[in-house]
Amino acid sequence: MSLARRAWAGGAARRPELLVPAALGGLLLLYFALPFAAFLARVGSTPILAQLSAPGAQQAIRHSLLTAPVSTAIATIFGVPLAYVLARQSFPGKRLVEGLVVLPLVVPPVVGGAMILTAVGRFTPLGSAAASVGIPLTGSLIGVVLAQTFVAAPFVIITARAGFGAIDERLEQASRSLGYGPLSTFRNVSLPLARGSIAAGMVLTFARAMGEFGATMMVAYNPRTIPTQIWVDFIGGGIDAILPLALALFGLTLLVVAAIQRLGRLPTVVER
Amino acid sequence: MMLNVDGLGHRYGTERALDDVSFGLDTGELVAVLGPSGCGKTTLVQAIAGHLTPTAGRVRLRGHDVTGQPPERRAVGLVFQQSTLYPHMTVGENVAYGLGPQGVDPDEHEAIVDEYLDLVNLADRRTAYPNELSGGQQRRAELARALAPQPDLLVLDEPLSALDRALRVQLRGEIARIQRETGVTTLFVTHDQQEAMELADRLVVMHGGAVAAVGPPRRLYESPPTPFVASFLGRSTELPATIAATEPLRLAVGGDELTLPDAGRTPPVGASVRCLFRPHGLSIRPPEDADAELSGTVRRVADLGRRYDVTVETDDGTALVVERRREPPAVGEAVAVAVDAGSVVAFTAAGEPIDAA
Repeated sequence: MSLARRAWAGGAARRPELLVPAALGGLLLLYFALPFAAFLARVGSTPILAQLSAPGAQQAIRHSLLTAPVSTAIATIFGVPLAYVLARQSFPGKRLVEGLVVLPLVVPPVVGGAMILTAVGRFTPLGSAAASVGIPLTGSLIGVVLAQTFVAAPFVIITARAGFGAIDERLEQASRSLGYGPLSTFRNVSLPLARGSIAAGMVLTFARAMGEFGATMMVAYNPRTIPTQIWVDFIGGGIDAILPLALALFGLTLLVVAAIQRLGRLPTVVER
Repeated sequence: MMLNVDGLGHRYGTERALDDVSFGLDTGELVAVLGPSGCGKTTLVQAIAGHLTPTAGRVRLRGHDVTGQPPERRAVGLVFQQSTLYPHMTVGENVAYGLGPQGVDPDEHEAIVDEYLDLVNLADRRTAYPNELSGGQQRRAELARALAPQPDLLVLDEPLSALDRALRVQLRGEIARIQRETGVTTLFVTHDQQEAMELADRLVVMHGGAVAAVGPPRRLYESPPTPFVASFLGRSTELPATIAATEPLRLAVGGDELTLPDAGRTPPVGASVRCLFRPHGLSIRPPEDADAELSGTVRRVADLGRRYDVTVETDDGTALVVERRREPPAVGEAVAVAVDAGSVVAFTAAGEPIDAA
């Protein structure tokens, strides 16, 4: 404690070896902050609220707020169990599965969208069958969810897997030996201990889903989400036209991220 | 018998970790499984607790075959070398954790937790979180958690190995007391022979995945069945020797001769044997001493406070460690070494013990 405090008080003067890495990182941070600040500087000249209350913007916000949480939920419900299996078990073909998990990250989103189209597009057997029973897989909110899940789910899988991997397996063995089956052990021990990682993964997945544009544009250009509406506004009116929705996207994402992080840090309630 | 391990074998791929391991534990007994790292101890623990399905053999608890049963249906309490206390629960919650599946009335949890925290002298840390406990307190809390559901068998897998020496010695005494007070049948797994000999009613010595010996500590120390057991239990120096005469049994060691107590069966004259000398069975004498069997030169003197360990190099170049309480000779000094024949353990070249008659 006292050591840490002393190092902090001394700052860079006492840790001269950190000057160079700090300077390098600082340049990058500056590059992050500069466009951000320049973009926000234009806010004053635009009637934000008026533009946000336009029907197109309202609809886009509603669509994004509907689809991104659903995609995040799907990614979490299916991804967390997969993450657990990957963290705990080796099996033949595991490398292949791991490759498949990061595939959506490697493929450019717009190509990912094209891939989804070739699999579930309107003229594919799957797409036409679904459409015939009234569930259009493209050009619909379902299509948006499909695109967002494809692109954003790897984040929660990868992060949760790291979280499970960091738990000593003997903690689970101790729970089994204390009389709990595999499911109760997962619920009482593994899940609470990986909670922070899972929350972090959900944050990343949600933020990515909210901002998803490339795959969404291919699979469901309509109905519009905030990013596709921003694109349409940009084509029609340039930078100033997209300011309101960009701010809305930023604000909403930040709000949800803060909420999830808060949840992730909540103390666990243990069954008594 | 509380625990019966019968012909247990396990392979990891092509590597054999356990080979035909058999032993049993009577109710209330404390048995130590002792062996060097990598001898299969942990695999054995995992198989007994049910976290691993052995490739051969059976595990029986109270006479019931549990080999195929999952850990949660075995009533085996388990304490590992590293803490497995749940960081998101208080000490009290950790101890209560195992009571739920036992069907213990939740109203009674509090009293049971108090009872077991009292047993391990941790009553005042009930509301603390594990990371607020010292290493020794974590061990105690873990013992309480393992004992609270009243397991048929308590398995302690190197429970003290991660602690410093003083704490290890103190907790060793605590474990002995707790075991006495609860009467729980205990399997204590360790690589520390002193720990094992001090605590256990019986030892199971393991070597290379197989059982090398089973028996009470003193019997195994005094008449070890194999050279490995002899060298692993207590300190010793091994010297090659040959049989010089059979009645009485005389051995030629490093140019000198040594008379041993009569043995039941001895190899013929001229056969080579392996002799193990315990440091406390050797004493340093003046070089011309007629009773001393061996002679050599002092190479090293280690001051251990209570005693000295004197390393004597015999004339044929073998190093012998001799314990000495009084002022030691100087390095480079020529000395004779007298051997207490009763403390010498001898084996045939094939590793068969040459038993004292």
